[in-house]
Amino acid sequence: MLRFLLKLLLCLIVGTALGLAATWLAVTRLNFGTVSNGPWRMSLLTGSAQSGPYLRANIARHGLLALNRSETIYYTADHDSNGEWLDGNCFYKIEGREPRARWWSITAYGDDDYLMKNKYDLWSISGETVQLRSDSTFIITASKHRAPTNWIPVTQRRFSLTLRLYNPAPGVVDDPANALVPVIKRSVCL
Amino acid sequence: MRRWAFWIVATLAVAAVVHYFTLLRTPEFIMNKVMMRMGEVNHIHHQGRVTDKSRGVVRPSPDLLYSVCPFDLAQGALHVTGKVPAGTYWSVSIFDSDTNNFYVKNDRQVKGSVDLLVTTPANDVRRPKGAVEVISPTVKGLVLFRTLIDDEKNFAAIDAVRRTANCELIRSRAS
Repeated sequence: MLRFLLKLLLCLIVGTALGLAATWLAVTRLNFGTVSNGPWRMSLLTGSAQSGPYLRANIARHGLLALNRSETIYYTADHDSNGEWLDGNCFYKIEGREPRARWWSITAYGDDDYLMKNKYDLWSISGETVQLRSDSTFIITASKHRAPTNWIPVTQRRFSLTLRLYNPAPGVVDDPANALVPVIKRSVCL
Repeated sequence: MRRWAFWIVATLAVAAVVHYFTLLRTPEFIMNKVMMRMGEVNHIHHQGRVTDKSRGVVRPSPDLLYSVCPFDLAQGALHVTGKVPAGTYWSVSIFDSDTNNFYVKNDRQVKGSVDLLVTTPANDVRRPKGAVEVISPTVKGLVLFRTLIDDEKNFAAIDAVRRTANCELIRSRAS
């Protein structure tokens, strides 16, 4: 009898630990209902009530209080356009044309999903602050070391970027996987 | 051998049940933590500018000003009011306790001012004149105002308008 109870206890402990580990992995590591557009990925169902339990848990962890995509589209990148992890020791050139939206911004976040401390209090470049070139394209630099224009400081080794499109154009809402988004090119690493 | 197989299957069954229920409860658990951090329920909280020290919600935008009103409709309905700034992006969004966004309007859809009554079917509250009724799927949740700082030069004016946002409980006649 005692042996049975010990086995039952072990079964409950190990089962609970496995179940919690599976939930932690599902919430923190997996991406459900997402589409890719170059280095960027976005959730088609963010902000919608129909989302399944896996996506709902993921959004609660990574995109809490996010709006649905007709209001705002959130693209996130933790890799560059060559598929390499973004690395705070490298310079990145984020190149493209202004996305089709009423307002847009690109913001850098640390590994904990919060803004990274920097002495310039600078965390994003938006459609209001970006300096465009004569052909209406832009190059934004994300790096530890200062760039002369369009600079987003990066002060952690592992970081990610979010491209926000507020009131995106209807074509972007309908097909965010093929919308015009900037590329992320790694240049030099120190 | 068959006994071991029984215990392995039983352990996996426990794991599956624990996984499923903890996954289902994750949004509510996270939302509860956020609501506790926001402060008193049924009151508006105008948050300061987002910086690296902001830890309320993950991935905040440093270009937006946030005002939040965590709510609990157990005692009545929530009257949400505020002026809508002109010329910059603004939105009011409402989330239930499972983090679902069940209502959102922006400055292109609401002109001048916003006037909402967030309630549940269980509440018996006289709707203030002009207020739009919004039914919340859950008793607890959160109202979030976003206002874009489109230009630093406009900050003081934008901040003044967004601080007109307010929320207050109208007690149910049944409670």
